[in-house]
Amino acid sequence: MMRHSFPGLLFVVAVSIAGCAGLTTREPESLPVSDNSAVTALVSTARTELANGKLDAAAGSFERALRIEPRNPVLWQELAKLRLQQGQYQQAEGLAARSNGWAGDNKSLRAENWRIIGQARLKRGDYPGAQSAFDKAAQAN
Amino acid sequence: MDNPVLEKFRQSFLRKRLRLVLLSFALLLSGFVLYLDLTVRAQFEGKRWALPARVYARPLELYPGLKLRPEQLLTELAMLGYRDSGDSLDPGHYRHDQDRFTIATRPFAFWDGAQPALQLRADFDGDRLRTLADLKTGQPVTLARLDPLLIGGIYPAHNEDRVLVKLNEVPPLLVKGLIAVEDRKFYTHHGVDPRGVGRALVTTLRGAGVQGGSTLTQQLVKNFFLTPERTLRRKFTEMIMAQLLELHYSKDEILEAYANEIYLGQDGNRAIHGFGLASHFYFNRPLSQLDLPQAALLVGLVKGPSYYDPRRHPARALSRRNLVLQEMLQQQAITQQQYAAARATGLGVVEQAPGGTSLYPAFVELVHRQLRRDYHEEDLRSEGLQIFSSLDPLVQFAGERALTTRLTQLEKARRIPPNALEGAVVVSNAQNGEIQALVGGRNTRYEGFNRALDTERPVGSLIKPVIYLTALQRPDSYTLATLLDDSPLVWRERGAPDWEPHNYDKAFHGQVPLRLALANSYNVSSVRLGLSLGVRTVMDNVRRLGVERDLNTYASSLLGADGLSPLEVTQMYETIASGGFRVPLRAIREVLTAEGQPLQRYSLSIEQVIEPGPAYLITSALQGVVREGTADGLNKFLSPDIHVAGKTGTTNDLRDSWFAGYTGDRLAVVWIGRDDNQPINMTGAGGAMTVWGDMMARLDPEPLVPPRPDNVEMVSVDAVTGRRADDNCRGAVSLPFINGSAPVETAPCAASSPGPSIKNWFKRLFE
Repeated sequence: MMRHSFPGLLFVVAVSIAGCAGLTTREPESLPVSDNSAVTALVSTARTELANGKLDAAAGSFERALRIEPRNPVLWQELAKLRLQQGQYQQAEGLAARSNGWAGDNKSLRAENWRIIGQARLKRGDYPGAQSAFDKAAQAN
Repeated sequence: MDNPVLEKFRQSFLRKRLRLVLLSFALLLSGFVLYLDLTVRAQFEGKRWALPARVYARPLELYPGLKLRPEQLLTELAMLGYRDSGDSLDPGHYRHDQDRFTIATRPFAFWDGAQPALQLRADFDGDRLRTLADLKTGQPVTLARLDPLLIGGIYPAHNEDRVLVKLNEVPPLLVKGLIAVEDRKFYTHHGVDPRGVGRALVTTLRGAGVQGGSTLTQQLVKNFFLTPERTLRRKFTEMIMAQLLELHYSKDEILEAYANEIYLGQDGNRAIHGFGLASHFYFNRPLSQLDLPQAALLVGLVKGPSYYDPRRHPARALSRRNLVLQEMLQQQAITQQQYAAARATGLGVVEQAPGGTSLYPAFVELVHRQLRRDYHEEDLRSEGLQIFSSLDPLVQFAGERALTTRLTQLEKARRIPPNALEGAVVVSNAQNGEIQALVGGRNTRYEGFNRALDTERPVGSLIKPVIYLTALQRPDSYTLATLLDDSPLVWRERGAPDWEPHNYDKAFHGQVPLRLALANSYNVSSVRLGLSLGVRTVMDNVRRLGVERDLNTYASSLLGADGLSPLEVTQMYETIASGGFRVPLRAIREVLTAEGQPLQRYSLSIEQVIEPGPAYLITSALQGVVREGTADGLNKFLSPDIHVAGKTGTTNDLRDSWFAGYTGDRLAVVWIGRDDNQPINMTGAGGAMTVWGDMMARLDPEPLVPPRPDNVEMVSVDAVTGRRADDNCRGAVSLPFINGSAPVETAPCAASSPGPSIKNWFKRLFE
């Protein structure tokens, strides 16, 4: 069992490092979040709050934006990333999956969601699950 | 006895005894005073009034593009007590001219920071808010909130309610009036007015009872520390305590305590204490904004809030207020002009007390229950917590209206005695699980039995979507086009009599496509399907969807023989409506301390419990229920373009009528029945569905267009056989299938060209 999963584990770790890089190097401001000015204002507030380490306040702002645009996949994804940062892995996975539901054919968004799911699974010790998520991220791109 | 020595000894003994008695009395008295002193100081300094938790509705968010009709904004403003004013643009006023609003918002401290008073101009275009701008600068405003509606409180024991005020918030004229009427020597006496005491003593000795002569300090002591009995001993204690209080505290401190303690009215079982709350209760404005006649009325009420109740006895209240004004004039607290002007004014009391005992008791009860998981009951009743809930007053209003008017209509139409029918409504946000409205019965202001939370009625066919969902989770065996067997069924179970389910139309329908068996709510094919899947498997899915109670696993459970509350049904359907994500229903967004410090946020939480594919299919099937099944009557209320997904529920002997359904933005569950569980002779479609439709029609629902998952494809099939169809087939329908599960065989109508099916077979081979 161990022998079998060790190379897989290595692979997952390697991919996840790539995934991490993807998460951090991405410029979030470059995403066109919404054409609703209230939503963009809330997202910008949330990002400021994030930068200041006020994670709960940021989550509140994202949720407020989601009440205005519940079908906006970027908002779901932002919340997923935040939960990942907070160590709420199950929530992160659920939110990223929700984002995927609304992502349509936005490939980069989907890839990012799968990376978040992979990260979350990795943290929870679900290596095969993480691997399959990272695979999907690679496919989506 | 005549012995002088003995006599002398006796006298000295008596003197000593007397001295001893006097000494011990003095000791006792000082001990008593010391004890009172400790009590007074400990209690006054530690005095923290029990402040009720206040529950607010969601604040209305205004932003360009918001879907809102001008009349809905008017309703909101009216509920908030905003006044339509010609000129004034003080906070809490607005102007309205067709599609243009000018609103002066009240400042409010929200969870994420304070919003100052704003002057906004809002222009509507049909049912949308087109632009929002700052009135003065003309600059566009991206987002602004109205202050939230206070919808109720969680009150302390004795139901005392108050709004704490500082002395500098009390209008000086009110203080002057209070002193002129209640205690002219307040600033000079030491807690007790000797002449007042003298007067009181005389009346008491005359046998007219112990009364009168109380200074403000004594009144405060009486309210603070003592019981309301009238005995000499109590009066004595009161006088000592009043002097002790004066010894330790300043006049201002005593006055401030008085201003917050004094009893000034009654709202149902809620006692109105202090000038701060009384100001809201009678005039719907903060204390600092009261004018002279209003302040004088509050002062007048001190003598007897019930006797001088300005709502019930306006004439009495008016003459009492004028008496106060007269006293103030005599004491030269006001000028002759002020007096004349104030006397000429009406009472100015608002007809309805704002935010009284819960406007929406059923919803507030849900808030209370959710809070009890995290807070001590005592804290909820005393810490003055500010609870920001998700209630949407506009949705609540629609729900209450629809339920009450429809129940009356249904009673008339079906010759049911008036007021025999009862009902409940729960409305939630279909995406994030927030409860927007909750109606616990047709008497919507009644704080009693809450049917939305506590009635447990068999759910009937509302359970069926779970059977079908369980089937659709096995795409290898079941699709929307799979033919189900709807022929007679006898179920034999050891220890139970044979069970023969029947359909509502008393007929059997042979081979029925799965989606139509659900759309028409056929019992027999549904039971057969559930039995082949396993009752336990189906019930496990019910739990997975969010029902937490233990469920029976009898065959009859497949037809909803077991009872659930409307709230539990809402939780179950919420998971379906949100595409397979379990989202716990929430009524609370944030909790703040009395001082406005954020305490807790109840965040959105989701968990994927059903794969997107089957979740998409079951929504599609439930849309079929409304399009062509038992709920097709909904089309009388809503455009077919909304693509509502829903399910009717009817129970044995027509005792319960249910409807659960969702649009793009909202999920709602409606139950109708009788409290005595007598038959009501209506189906889900005949009763609950009409309430649902009536309510949703008032709310301009968003169309339901769920995103199609990657692994779901649309395939045309023959409506009857469920086989693959093509352009040649007339009765073809386009249905969603999980990739690889669509039928391979072509229908007879398309049989001329076997091409597609072979192509598909190859496609599947390489997928």
